[in-house]
Amino acid sequence: MRNGNAKAINGNAKRCFKLMIVDDSNLMRRRIERSQQFEDLQLVGTAGNGLEALELFKKTDPDVVTMDITMPRMDGIECIGQLVALKPAVRILVISALADKATAVEAMERGANGFLEKPFTDRQLNEAIAELMR
Amino acid sequence: MTLAGTERRRRQLITAGLGTALTLVMGTVLIMGFRLATHMRANIGALQTASTLQIYPQEISHQLNSLRDRLEVRAYSGQALADLQATVKRFDQMLNELGVSAEADSPQLHRALQLWHQYAPVLDPVLSFNAQPYVDSDTAGSSLSREGRQYYAEVKRAQLFASDSAGALQGQLAALAATLQRTCSDAAARLRMLLLAGVLAALALAGAAGYFRLTRSSHERAAREAQEQTRDILKTVHEGFFLLDADYRIGSVWSEALTRMFGRQDFAGLSFEELLKDLVAPATLATATKYIKLLWGDRAHENLMKSINPLGQLEIVMDNGHGGKETRYLEFDFHRVMGPEGVKHVLCAVGDITSSVRLAHELRESQENANAQVDMMLSMLHVEPLQLMAFLDSAETSLNLVNGILREPARSDAEFRKKLGGLFRELHGIKGEASALNLKSVASRVHALEDMVADCKRKPELSGSDFLPLVLRLDDLLAHLRSVREMGARLTTLKESGPAAAASVAAAAPHGSAAPRQPRPVEDLSSALQSMAERLAEDHAKRFRLTVSGLSEVPPSYAATIKDCVIQMLRNAAVHGIEPPEVRRAHTKHDVGAVSVHFRKVGEGYELVFEDDGAGIATEALKAAALRQQLISEEEARSMDTRAAMALIFRPGFSTQDDVSMDAGRGVGMDVVARSVYALGGRIGVSTHPGRFTRFKILLPAAQAVSSAVA
Repeated sequence: MRNGNAKAINGNAKRCFKLMIVDDSNLMRRRIERSQQFEDLQLVGTAGNGLEALELFKKTDPDVVTMDITMPRMDGIECIGQLVALKPAVRILVISALADKATAVEAMERGANGFLEKPFTDRQLNEAIAELMR
Repeated sequence: MTLAGTERRRRQLITAGLGTALTLVMGTVLIMGFRLATHMRANIGALQTASTLQIYPQEISHQLNSLRDRLEVRAYSGQALADLQATVKRFDQMLNELGVSAEADSPQLHRALQLWHQYAPVLDPVLSFNAQPYVDSDTAGSSLSREGRQYYAEVKRAQLFASDSAGALQGQLAALAATLQRTCSDAAARLRMLLLAGVLAALALAGAAGYFRLTRSSHERAAREAQEQTRDILKTVHEGFFLLDADYRIGSVWSEALTRMFGRQDFAGLSFEELLKDLVAPATLATATKYIKLLWGDRAHENLMKSINPLGQLEIVMDNGHGGKETRYLEFDFHRVMGPEGVKHVLCAVGDITSSVRLAHELRESQENANAQVDMMLSMLHVEPLQLMAFLDSAETSLNLVNGILREPARSDAEFRKKLGGLFRELHGIKGEASALNLKSVASRVHALEDMVADCKRKPELSGSDFLPLVLRLDDLLAHLRSVREMGARLTTLKESGPAAAASVAAAAPHGSAAPRQPRPVEDLSSALQSMAERLAEDHAKRFRLTVSGLSEVPPSYAATIKDCVIQMLRNAAVHGIEPPEVRRAHTKHDVGAVSVHFRKVGEGYELVFEDDGAGIATEALKAAALRQQLISEEEARSMDTRAAMALIFRPGFSTQDDVSMDAGRGVGMDVVARSVYALGGRIGVSTHPGRFTRFKILLPAAQAVSSAVA
């Protein structure tokens, strides 16, 4: 993740990671966007389902993705598999209300790198993203 | 463990190195010693030869003298010559042998050989003589022959040469012997030194071997102790521990707790999947297997893996060893053991958390109970304290009556069934009152007790032991009533914040004593009936309005009976009488039904009229229900007139409702009302019009001062 996609913005030599947020709830998308406090994380787009996410992913080539599980048209589990197939180095944080451990294991198996259960605090979100970008 | 391993390897290397070095030293010593010994042996041989040779020049000289003497006296010289020849030959042979051996190679030998090479030609003519030295004549006797004279001259020459050079030759040979002796002494000294070195080396080797043997045995002892300690730990620890290898198989070491947890012993080499296969659902097994595989990946860190562990609380069903099944809860914890090339093993710790899970369940249950108590308390806030206490008194009295019924001896099945009927009626009354006061917790408990009585009734044969569970449940109900009473007392204290009030409540608590039902005013009955009507309407999806009048005029001695009767009739009206709104609409009736209760004094006595504008009572339906419940025969049904059919509703056990609910269906109700009325010396009548109304009229005589009618 750390090689190739990093780019300098505003003349700052610091590397910047591209973030994509996937969640069918508009409220949750805004919440994640507002709550993340990383200067070197630039939001490149949000998607409301797996199919949209896939389209957006191809266009914007993000490095970090937050992914909901239960979504219309294409669910998060399926989407994770497809994103990892497109870019193995992508880092995916699953953010889901499904407390079911089997779903988490399934997501990890498909290639997710982290798991955060809804509801979450800002601190939990930022810690999870930091862990992802480490 | 790793440090000890490194130390052990280091010691092994040292042992091997030292052993090799000492073996080499010993080998060198032995080879050198062997060579030195061989050399010495040759030296000693040469020394012996040189020593022997020393005497030969003298010997040769003597033998020459002897030969000359013999020749001079014309004696027989053959033997002397033969001796000389043998001596010279031996000397020559030995000297030449010495000459070719390397050990004797020295200037002395060279000079001796030089002298001998000068000496030998002088001796040769003597030695080679083989003629007759004498001639014998009669005149002169024996005289030297011509060859004899020549021979004599040669012997004399040799003798002269010998006297000149024998000493020198002997000197050289002596010097040679001395040199050889020195060489031998040197070699012997060297050999001694070498042997000493060998002995020292051997001692060092033995010492080193002893040292390493000692240290090795101490290490072995330490290793054995460590092994024993590990075994003790694994035997004692309550958690199940084992290592999984990269093929997800269990290693050869595990803690004994696993045996208890899984009821097996063949863990070594068992795959994780096989371990869980028969214990968990296939979906859980699949998730667990995936999770284990993820642990070997480098993507997931420890905390994340811990948070998604699907085996954190695993429910397994196992044989309990007594032929039954037992549900247990296991907690699996996984830790990755890292090696130089990534994950080497996964350490699994399994804990049996059955008791803590059960404790959590109990806690949740008690929490729910506490919540239910709070709910009850809140519902009790709406009940007048006096009314509540009146209910509790009457309920306890009724339950004591129930207790009495249970204690009554019974022998025949019919007697048991009669007991059950009695129980039913009492319980039904309590439930009605509890429902009227909206004390759901009490009502539901009584309902459950009624269910048990109903189960008993369904049994083909009854015995005393069938009543035992009822007694237990009854105790539980009494305990609950006591807690309601306590709660009521506390509430009163809170409400009134007056010690007097609390005292009055406490005083009103007979606590299970068979106190007679105290007459209490029924002013508050109206509001209790209203709230009961609301609840009934809600529970049965009905809409009706209750109008109450004149209840304040009920004489105290009739209060309890009137209350029971009105509650029962209200329930009947809500369940059987008032139709659902859509049915009423279809019959062009108002959506909201009307139920009225009127009490008034009539002459000396009293009259209670209870009326609803519901579906009325269809006599055919009554007969059909009675037939269904086998209360009457078909013939009886056919011959029954309207009046007799109406009387069915006062029969014990009769109900038109097939399903049992909290409010109807038990077949206990109107018979209780009728019995209570009869007990007070009153009468009860019913008039109805199908689709229009049902009206009950109860006539009671003038009240006595104190009533014991109900008991």
